[in-house]
Amino acid sequence: MYKWLAEFFGLAKNYIIFALLISLSLFLISTNNNSHTRGLQVVGLVTTSYLEAGVNGVLAYFSLPSEVKKLQLENARLIDRIARIRGAMEENRQLREMLNLRQQSSYPLVPGDVVGRSAEGGRYFITLDIGERNGVGVGDPVVSGTGLVGIVSAVSEDFSLVRTLLDVDSRVAAKFVNTSADGLVVSGSFGELAMKNVSRRYPVQPGDIVETSSLSTLVPPGIPIGMVTEAKNEPGDIFKKIDIQPAVDYTAITTAFVMKYSRPAEAVALEKEQLKKTR
Amino acid sequence: MTKRLLGYIALSIAAILLQKFLDNYASVDSISPQLIILVAVYLSLREGQLFGMGSGFLIGFLNDLLVTHFIGYSSLMGVIAGFVAGFFFKESDVELAAKNFNFAWISAITLAVTQLAALPIIASGELNYFYVFLKFTVGTTVYTTVFAMIVVFVNGRKSRYV
Repeated sequence: MYKWLAEFFGLAKNYIIFALLISLSLFLISTNNNSHTRGLQVVGLVTTSYLEAGVNGVLAYFSLPSEVKKLQLENARLIDRIARIRGAMEENRQLREMLNLRQQSSYPLVPGDVVGRSAEGGRYFITLDIGERNGVGVGDPVVSGTGLVGIVSAVSEDFSLVRTLLDVDSRVAAKFVNTSADGLVVSGSFGELAMKNVSRRYPVQPGDIVETSSLSTLVPPGIPIGMVTEAKNEPGDIFKKIDIQPAVDYTAITTAFVMKYSRPAEAVALEKEQLKKTR
Repeated sequence: MTKRLLGYIALSIAAILLQKFLDNYASVDSISPQLIILVAVYLSLREGQLFGMGSGFLIGFLNDLLVTHFIGYSSLMGVIAGFVAGFFFKESDVELAAKNFNFAWISAITLAVTQLAALPIIASGELNYFYVFLKFTVGTTVYTTVFAMIVVFVNGRKSRYV
């Protein structure tokens, strides 16, 4: 028996080891959202981010003159925009007073530079050079000047790993600016996003703006996500098929802001209480 | 053997560091050359299928840890690459397989197989298979094969002067 087994293993050892290694890899893939695996991700993040930050620093030095020109141009544009925004803000303040609306709350933003990107196997991450030391935590939303970038998925002392909206595991509650329809924004095809769970009865048109919804527990409402490029009703499907052009260019983004957002404590407590009652 | 093993370790670490750099600065629409697969193919052609699979797994794991942050993905690709490339291993013909243009076409076949095997993993969510096939399977295979050709070209020039 032993001899037969040894002979069999001798003949099929490559296939047996292949099957074992494949199983081990698939097991590792299935544990990607576990806290232990997240710890491994943080270890990897710390190891490479310092190197990336160094390389970025050297490259940034060589691109300084063109960067200065670009910033001067941007500055001129911003001065013009500020002048117009001041007028709009004053008008907004007066209208809010007239309607007796509550002031919108603003959340502290922590700026960070993008020091790394990875896009492997449908996973789209960016690395920021800010971490726990700057008050960044797992689950914090990340925004840029144009819209929502993603959610912090792992954090070390000095760096944070951000899961962008293009990542296949990304899910964000969203709504349309001009209709009351809510849905779920997920990664789509050809560098776009897709919106799920939007009923066919809503009149969604290309050009409609999509923003974060107040149903989200991680992201504050009203942050732009993108613009609808196509909305159609598939036969036999009760939901619309919606493609969205992201507001953020994930491949070109160089700076992002981590938003320190937490839902109102009263709402969280109320939901917990209700959950307890229903159990 | 120890000297050769140290050489392989150095090659693997260099490939991982270079992979990080390529992901940041040489990716075209999020597609970058898969140097880890090339290293697994090279090691499999030099040392055989078993060595190729084992080293492919370890290098892939290290790559996942340091570059992709998607633990298990590159390990899977490394194992498959080592396995597929191992079928082209001929002990008497090692130098020929690893240094001339055989390396480029073996890499292309291996890449196509590994990227096809990755389809179900990548095409989760709302991504459709056609898009993933076009972008990841075809895109990555072509881009990485170009790199394999460069490696062959550089190696060929070097050996001409030795």
